[in-house]
Amino acid sequence: MTTSVRTEARSSGMAVWKAVLLMLPAALLSSLTWLGNLMGGEIDPLIVVALVASWLGFTVLFVLMLTTGKTYRYRSIMFILTAIALPLDFIPYMLETYGSMMLSEDVMFNGGASFCPLTMPMIIVPALVKGVVIFPGEILPGMAKGAFSVMFILWVGASLSVGRGWCSWGCFYGGWDELFSRLRKKPLIKHRQIDSRWRYLPFAVLLAIVLLSAITFSPIYCEWLCPFKAVTEFQAPSSALAVIQITIFALLFLGLVVVLPLLTKRRIQCGLFCPFGAMQSFLNKINIFEVRIDLEKCTQCKKCIRECPTFSLDESSLESGKPLMTCTKCAQCVDTCPQGAIAYHIKGTPLKANSIVAKVLFLYPAYILLMFLGAGSVAAALYRILMLVTTGSMLH
Amino acid sequence: MEKIRPVLGYIMAVFSCLISAAILPAIATLSEPLITATGLTISPNYSGGEVVQTIDHGAYETHVHRMVFDDVLIGERKEGFIQVDWTPLDALPARINEEIDADGDGQADFRIELDTASKEATLTPYATWVLELEGAYKPKGYMLVRVRLDNPSR
Amino acid sequence: MQGFLLGLANGTTCLAFCAPALIPFLMHEGQTVRQNLVMVLKFLGGRMGGYLIFGLLAWATGSLLSSVAGYEGLLIGIAYVGLAAVLLVAVLRKKAPAGSCAFEGARATLNRWPALLPVGMGFLAGLKICPPLLLAFTGAASTGTLIGSLVFFLAFFLGTSVYFIPIPFLGVFRRVSALQIVGKFAAVIVSLYYLGAGILLLAGGVL
Repeated sequence: MTTSVRTEARSSGMAVWKAVLLMLPAALLSSLTWLGNLMGGEIDPLIVVALVASWLGFTVLFVLMLTTGKTYRYRSIMFILTAIALPLDFIPYMLETYGSMMLSEDVMFNGGASFCPLTMPMIIVPALVKGVVIFPGEILPGMAKGAFSVMFILWVGASLSVGRGWCSWGCFYGGWDELFSRLRKKPLIKHRQIDSRWRYLPFAVLLAIVLLSAITFSPIYCEWLCPFKAVTEFQAPSSALAVIQITIFALLFLGLVVVLPLLTKRRIQCGLFCPFGAMQSFLNKINIFEVRIDLEKCTQCKKCIRECPTFSLDESSLESGKPLMTCTKCAQCVDTCPQGAIAYHIKGTPLKANSIVAKVLFLYPAYILLMFLGAGSVAAALYRILMLVTTGSMLH
Repeated sequence: MEKIRPVLGYIMAVFSCLISAAILPAIATLSEPLITATGLTISPNYSGGEVVQTIDHGAYETHVHRMVFDDVLIGERKEGFIQVDWTPLDALPARINEEIDADGDGQADFRIELDTASKEATLTPYATWVLELEGAYKPKGYMLVRVRLDNPSR
Repeated sequence: MQGFLLGLANGTTCLAFCAPALIPFLMHEGQTVRQNLVMVLKFLGGRMGGYLIFGLLAWATGSLLSSVAGYEGLLIGIAYVGLAAVLLVAVLRKKAPAGSCAFEGARATLNRWPALLPVGMGFLAGLKICPPLLLAFTGAASTGTLIGSLVFFLAFFLGTSVYFIPIPFLGVFRRVSALQIVGKFAAVIVSLYYLGAGILLLAGGVL
């Protein structure tokens, strides 16, 4: 195939005016929520600057996504920004509210631990059997940053709209994994050196934590295994047990989120460990969006297999025309394929149907999710930075 | 069927956009009704269980929670605890010295002496099933103690 | 009848306590429904053995609680560590390097007596002094006679075992090879948890 045909096959960009017009309704919708936040009471000009800058930045990146056809690159920027922004706001919040990033027992009794959607797998069985939520947080929004009701509705909404796309468009932690996986130009540990059976580890972690949380009535993953406590909150080292738990999550963060992604150029935590991602993989089955491979265009070059950050493509995918159920719809394969053989697809529609329509229809819920979570986080972080610049402190 | 499937697909795709857009409004409006309808509560191991007795001391109140022996799934454990709160924090005297009726039979089951500044607490059990003081804590706005108990019904 | 009904009322807790070891083990073995049923029966047999030993101890000493009070943490700690070891041997035995003495010995023993694994696992799972076990002893002690206690205990045990009936049906999915790999990984994670919990209990008991 000639270079010009290949370029045409890969490029799925559209005219700028079309992209702006398409994104306008979603951009206006997301801006309404922030305008609501600004109504009533004294408005700090720094908040306005932060909100507008964040909203504009994300909107521009989405327009670029549509005009250049490089979905993965611009999604990655927003995703990484979201992850970096979270601790920039969350840690100052912890210092303001509790005086420390560490959760003492006093704080736990106050329902001070913040929920995140990763608690959902552990909560389900005890909630169904005994009607209790096994986490030292708040049921309804109060003092803590995330209450159970908020995270539950967020999880249900995101799962219904994007399935495991949460892992590449919504998760406020995955960007760390992605950041370190993108730092090196070439991997030191190549794809073929990683045993494909490690792909099943997240499902095993999911099974183990569901069973163990049901018998201990405590959130096992949060207590022992979550590496992202390194960038949010963690228990105070008030006992030998707590010191062991802190050591474990610190090592997991270093290993799974920093070192291994650096060496492999893969999202190791997300692809080979996270139990929430494993749970979302099942929800991919009911989500209307998927990624499909046009087998007539595919030349079996296997570049997509080598590039997939979450190990969701293998030889069987090139035979069936579908990635594995663990696909996070990040668009790396879509952008990478030299033949343009991979595209977003709406289940039930013909495979040859207009892929631009499928892409835009997928980008809408993905964009809205990223705007609500990501742009909101970035705005909050920007506000903290502006406070630091203007007042010398990030704390209120 | 073959003609309907693509239509259904596109309808579901548009519906997904609407669901995504509805997340924030749903959080604002459905949080409370959802919790009320399901009756979900935070595990008593963390929340201390429901308050069964409130003692008014004028400037402050004592809240005695129920005895918690909740087992993992069904039944009761051999050992549990009871949580007692004093609120509000800024109205508490320097020292609290109070007898607590844990099982609601009108008889005091233990005495707590609590230094509200240092969190030092002493337990004097009256009943044999009152075991030991688990600890005294100062969350935001109130103080609490937890006392380990043997299950009197076991 | 009273024992059986008590067992039925509390059996979900028994299942919950045994499931973390039993389910990953069965997934890893990847056997048919019938073979799984035999495995589960062996597991329950081992569990029954553990319970009966406690029952006889309780009868001999007059009270379970007074005989084990103070040693409860040590006992459960030993059971946890043992369970972790058995689970690890169960899922790693086929992959152990040749010539490694410990695994060669274990492999040879298991080849001669394959029932040792599920029975041993059930026995150690049963050694955990879980709430249903305590209920059984209270009920058994109230009958007044040794035979009465054992019959009560057996009926209670049968009542709790009803909830294990669905477990062998994991064999329906045995052709899904991924489940065997998931089972192996999950068994290792669960055994690491039991190992850690057991060591903490032992350290607490010793200290």
